[in-house]
Amino acid sequence: MLRRLKFIGALGVMLLMALLVSAEQRFPPPDFENGYSLPSTSTPAARQLWLQYGDTAVFLAALGTAVWLIYKKRSRRGVFWLSLFSLAYFGFYRKGCICPIGSPQNIVYGLFNPGYAVPLTVLIFCFAPIVVALFGGRAFCAGVCPQGALQDLVLIKPIVVPPWLEHALGVVPYIFLGAGLICAGTGTGFLICRYDPFVPFFRLSGGTFILTFGAAFLLMGMFVGRPYCRFLCPYGGLLRVASLASKWRVRVTPDTCTQCRLCEQSCPFGAMREPPSPETNPKWLRAERKRLGWLLALLPVLILAGAWGGSKFSPTAAQLNPTVALAERYARQQIHPVEYGLMTPEALSLQRAADNPAAILTQAADLRRRFALACALFGGWVGLVIGVKLAALSVRPSRTDFEPDRGACFACARCFTACPNERVRLGLAPAAQGAEPL
Amino acid sequence: MNNSLHRSLVLTAWIAGVFCLLVCAVIIRGHFTAATNDPWKSPRLLALKDQLAAEPKNKPLQTEIRRLDLEFRRNFRHRLALDKTAGWLLVGGALVLVLAAGKAASVSTKFQPPQPKTGAAELAAKLASRARWSLAGLGLVVAGAALMCSYHLTSALPADEADWQKLASKSGPEQAPAQAAPALSESQANWPRFRGWDGSGVSTNAGASAWDSTNGAPILWRSAIPAPGHNSPIVWGDRVFISGGTASRREVFSYSASSGALLWRRAIENVPGSPPKFPEIPDDTGYAASTMAADGQRAYAIFGNGDLAAVNFDGSVAWTKYLGPLKNSYGYATSLAVWGNNLLVQLDQGDSPTAGSKLISFQGASGRVLWERSRPVPASWATPIVIEAAGKTQIITLADPLVISYALQDGNELWRAHLLENEVVPSPIFVGGLLFVISPSSRLLALRPDGAGDVTTTRVAWTNDENVPDITSPVSNGDLVFTVSSGGVVTCVDAVSGKKIWEKDLGVSVEASPAILGGRLFILGQDGALMTFQAGREFRQIGQIQFSEKFLASPAFANGLVFLRGATNLYALGLAGANAPKQP
Repeated sequence: MLRRLKFIGALGVMLLMALLVSAEQRFPPPDFENGYSLPSTSTPAARQLWLQYGDTAVFLAALGTAVWLIYKKRSRRGVFWLSLFSLAYFGFYRKGCICPIGSPQNIVYGLFNPGYAVPLTVLIFCFAPIVVALFGGRAFCAGVCPQGALQDLVLIKPIVVPPWLEHALGVVPYIFLGAGLICAGTGTGFLICRYDPFVPFFRLSGGTFILTFGAAFLLMGMFVGRPYCRFLCPYGGLLRVASLASKWRVRVTPDTCTQCRLCEQSCPFGAMREPPSPETNPKWLRAERKRLGWLLALLPVLILAGAWGGSKFSPTAAQLNPTVALAERYARQQIHPVEYGLMTPEALSLQRAADNPAAILTQAADLRRRFALACALFGGWVGLVIGVKLAALSVRPSRTDFEPDRGACFACARCFTACPNERVRLGLAPAAQGAEPL
Repeated sequence: MNNSLHRSLVLTAWIAGVFCLLVCAVIIRGHFTAATNDPWKSPRLLALKDQLAAEPKNKPLQTEIRRLDLEFRRNFRHRLALDKTAGWLLVGGALVLVLAAGKAASVSTKFQPPQPKTGAAELAAKLASRARWSLAGLGLVVAGAALMCSYHLTSALPADEADWQKLASKSGPEQAPAQAAPALSESQANWPRFRGWDGSGVSTNAGASAWDSTNGAPILWRSAIPAPGHNSPIVWGDRVFISGGTASRREVFSYSASSGALLWRRAIENVPGSPPKFPEIPDDTGYAASTMAADGQRAYAIFGNGDLAAVNFDGSVAWTKYLGPLKNSYGYATSLAVWGNNLLVQLDQGDSPTAGSKLISFQGASGRVLWERSRPVPASWATPIVIEAAGKTQIITLADPLVISYALQDGNELWRAHLLENEVVPSPIFVGGLLFVISPSSRLLALRPDGAGDVTTTRVAWTNDENVPDITSPVSNGDLVFTVSSGGVVTCVDAVSGKKIWEKDLGVSVEASPAILGGRLFILGQDGALMTFQAGREFRQIGQIQFSEKFLASPAFANGLVFLRGATNLYALGLAGANAPKQP
C-alpha cells in the first residue's frame, strides 16, 4: 500500500513539474497604441484574520496529532497519512506560506525594522514546533512539514550517505540559517523562502533556477532520504538542537533492545546509532581527551577568524541587497558607462539612481554598515558551528542500545515495525519471533 | 524467471530514462532559444524600437515592428503548446521510469540479515576522524567560496568618504560643471519664467517705461511659430524662448529678441523612459501649455506627456527626463519655475489627494533631483512662485484645497492653509509683504506668509469675493490688486483692506493673465485686443492695439519690449531703436 502511494506521489510530482514547465515563462503585454493602459499591478489582500487563526489551529492540531501518533499510537501509517494531509493543506492549499521554515526571518526582520510588527500567527508557527521538539523531538518534521512529506513520497530506493559526508553536510543548514537571518535583518530579503526548492511546486509557478533546484532535490530524494531536510533546511537545524534536549525521545522499541540491528536498515535517513564498543583502549582515551582539549581551545579562534573573514566579506555580501546593488551599478556606470536598451530594467533602475544619487548612496552606505556588523556575526557563527561540530565528533556517545540520534531522527516511525519485539508487542508476529537480548 | 524479469524492468527503466532526458533536452532548448523570441529581449526588435524612437513617423518601420511582435507572440504560443505536450510526455516517461526502477529494485533486493560487526571501536574512531577532516574541508570550501566571490564581485563604491561625496554629487557619466547661480538683478532684468522673474506679472525693467502703446501699433517684428502651444514667451538677453508640440513631436524654439529671427529649433526626443505613445491630451490644452523657464545658461521646457528637457542657449540638449505618465484630465499646464540653480516642477495630478502629486527640485545644470516632496492634492494648473519672507526662501504652491509653503533649500513644508476649492488655475503673487491667491470663482485672498503649521485661520489678512477669476492670475503694484475674469470684468481692489475700488466690464474674453509695466495695466483679450490702463484708483484706459489673431498666452516684458505670443505668430512691440537688447 505504502509503496503504491509512493509511486502515486512520485507521479504527482512529475505531473507538477510538467505543469510548471509551461508556467514559468511569462510574456510581456503588447505595446498598446490606442490609449489603453494596463491596469496597475496590485498585490492581493492579506488573508482574513479568522482564516489565519484557522490555519494556526489546524497547524497546532496537526502537531498534537503527530506527537500522539508517534508516542502513543506508535503508528507509521498514521504519521504517513498525517503527512499527506499536511502536504495537501500547508503545501498545496496554503501554497507553502506561512511555514515555520521561513518564520525565523520574519522575527529577525521585525527585530531590526521597527516598522514591521511580527504577526501572532508567525510567532506560533515559529515557536510551536520548537517547543514540541524540546519535549518530544521532531514531530513537526515527521507529520506536519509539507516539504518533508513531498520528499518522503518520492523516496524509492534509499542509499546510505557515508557518515563522514553526512556529518560534514549536517552543518550546512546552520550556515544557511545564518545567511538567511542576516539577509532578513538587513532588509535584503527572505533568502530561506527564496531558495525553498519546493514552494514553486506548491504554487505551480517559479523561475527556471528554482525549478531546476527543486527538481534536482526531488530527483536526489528518490535515492537519498529527505536531502533538503538533512542538508539544507535551516529550521530543521533549529529543531535538531531543540531535540537534543528533548524530555522524551523516539525509541525503536519500548521494550528491551535485542541489538539485532534490524532497525539500522529500516532508517532511510541514517539516523540510527549503534552503541559504542565496550572495548576501550586507555591509549585511545588519552588521545581523544587531548584532541577534545585542543578542539575546545580552537573554538574561540575559529569564531574570531570567522568574524574577521565575515567583516572582510561584507562589501561583497552587501551586493545581495537591491539598494546596494543599484548603488554599485550606478558607481560602475560612472567609471565604465554601459549602454542599455530603451526601457530595459537596467536603464530604468539607473535612471532612478541618477535622479537622486545622494539618496541611493546614503541608503547604500547605511546598509553596508549594517552588513559589516551582520557579516562579522555571520562569520563568527560559521566558526562556532564548525568548531562545536568538530568538538562533538570527538566526544564518545554514552548509549547502550540501538537508538535514533535525538537530533537527526525525523520521528517518522519507520523503525518501529522493524523491531521484532515491537512486532510481537503489536501482535504482528508470533511471540516466538521475538528475540532475547544478545 | 526473476532474472529475466529484472533484466526487462531494468531495460524498460533505461529506455524510459533516456526518453525523459530527450524530452527534458527539448524543453531546455526551447527555454534557451526563447530569449531571441522575447519582445523584451530580442536584439532585433529592440534595435528596431530604438530606430523608431529616432524616426517616429517611419511607417514601414512601425509595420515591421508590429509584424515581428506578432510573430514572436505566435512563436511563444507555439512553444507553450510544445511545452505542454512535452510535459505530458515527461509525465508518462517518468511514470514508466519510476515504476520500472522501483519494481526492479524490489525484485533485486534480498534480505541481508545483519551481521555482527568486528572491530567496531576502530571503525568508529576512523569514522570520527574522517568526519572531522571532511568538516574541515567544508570550512575551507566555505572560506574559498567567500574569497572567490570577493575577488570576482569587487565593489565599485568608494571606500573613502570624500570620493563617496563626489560620487553622490555626480549625475550621469560626466559631472555637471560647477555654475554660479544668476544674480537676482540679472533675473529681474529678464523675463525668465511665467509672469516674470518672481511670477508677479510686474516688470521692474527701468527701460520698459519707454514703451508706449499710444502711438499706434509699434510692432518691431513678427515671426511665425512653427508648432502649436499655449505657453507664454520667456526672455533672457537676446533670446526669446517658446515651446510647441503635438502628439508626435515636441520642440523648443529660440528667437532673436532684437530681430525676431528663429535662431534654432530643437526637438525633444529619445527621452529615457518616455513611451512612444501616451494618452491623448485635449486640444484646448495641448502638449505645450506650460511656460518655459531659463537661468541664463539653459532654457527648460516641460510638455504634456511628461517630458522635461534642459536646452543650452546654443540649442544643444543638456539633459532630459521623463516624469510621466501624467494623470490630468485637462492636460498638464503648470509652468516651470527657476530660482538660483533650482528648477522647480509642480507635478500635481490625478483626481484625489493620493494620486501621486509632487513637487520636485532639480539641479538646473545636471538635472539631478535635489529633493522631492509628495503633495496631498489632486491635479492643479497653477504655477508656483518663490518668495523671500519671514527670513526664509519659500516656494508657494496652490492646489485644491491647500496653499502650501515649502522651504526652497530642502523641500520641507513650512506652513499650509485650507483655503482653496475648485480647479485651481490662477497662480499666486507676492507683493508688499502679502501673498495674493485666488480660489477660482470664489475668493481673492491676502495672506501673511510668516506662519508655521496650519495657518488657515491665523494668517488671512482679508478676502474679497467680487468678480473672482477662474483662469487668470492677479497682478498688483503694491497699492492695488487687479484681477480680470474670463468674461472680461476688470476689478481693482485695495491691497491693504481688500475693498473693491472699481470694476469695469471690457466685453472681451480673457485667458491671458494681466501684467503691469511702467504704471500701465496690460490686458490681452482672446480676440487680439491689447488694452492698456492706468494702474490707479480710477479707471482710465490709455490705449488699445488690435491684432488679428487669437491670444491665450500672457505677455512678457524685457529690454523695453513687449513680447506676445499669438496663435500662430510671435510679436515684439516697442519703440524701434529705443532699447536694443543686450547680448546674453
